[in-house]
Amino acid sequence: MAEEFFARMQAGDVDGILGMMTPEATALLVPLNRHGPVAADGASYLRELSRAFPDLLVRVRRLFVTRDSTAVAEITIDGTQADAFLAVADQEKHFDLDQAWMLAVTPDDRISAVIAYWDQNQLYRRLGVKRLDKITITAV
Amino acid sequence: MTTRARRAGTPGAPREDSAEAAVRAFFDAYRAHDIERMVDLCTDNAGFRYVPFEVWGRQRVLYGEGKVRTVGKVIWTTLLDAFPDLANIVTSLRADTEGNVAAEVGIGGTQAKDFGNVTCVGGHYELPHLFLFSVTGDGLIDDIVAYWDNVGWKKQLGCLEVD
Repeated sequence: MAEEFFARMQAGDVDGILGMMTPEATALLVPLNRHGPVAADGASYLRELSRAFPDLLVRVRRLFVTRDSTAVAEITIDGTQADAFLAVADQEKHFDLDQAWMLAVTPDDRISAVIAYWDQNQLYRRLGVKRLDKITITAV
Repeated sequence: MTTRARRAGTPGAPREDSAEAAVRAFFDAYRAHDIERMVDLCTDNAGFRYVPFEVWGRQRVLYGEGKVRTVGKVIWTTLLDAFPDLANIVTSLRADTEGNVAAEVGIGGTQAKDFGNVTCVGGHYELPHLFLFSVTGDGLIDDIVAYWDNVGWKKQLGCLEVD
């Protein structure tokens, strides 16, 4: 289930990801302070990620499933920027970023909640941002 | 394991329970600012990785990665020196049968000294963290990985520089 989720993330198959979710599934993207229905908050992030990094690679580095059926994954995403992403202008920079995701899985193999942690400062650093109050102004 | 290493939990308890007990003991020690006990709850060669911890200098980049008894101990000591009222609350704990534990933890404190490129202006922060542990069958922590968002952390402390 988790491996399929990340394979679909790499492929930019957001509709496929939504098809793996319960109707009331929620997403909490901690560094973006976004928490709400996955069809809104999670899907918009994944679509923006896919559009901005068309060569996105998602590598699962560690995966375990806890006794409450939560899949915990450490992944690395990397790609080359081809469009604005989270307000960062495109400079065609390559980035790689380590993230941790938790996927709560129901007994009938649907994902009911997604929680993701990463360091947005690392993302900004790799995309050439110098100041947190001037995200859209990037270094040359 | 050294003679100083201390196990947490009840002997004979399910692996998930003993692993969770070790992690709870770790954060209890962290809350008490007892770094020696934090270290003693780990194996001699326990791994350590604070993923967001990167210090970019002109010549090289320092990562928060190595061993608990070297890199981890130094970072915890420096952090507690800069944030002397540092506190934590474990908000969720999930374990599997192999000794893996995921802990969501709220950590907060008031800055009293400069920390890296974050100049002290007396700011206070509260920040969600995700810690991933590996705990041995003996109930000792063998690996620690942590994730958090440095943008949220820096903004609360009045620092707006990426590096």
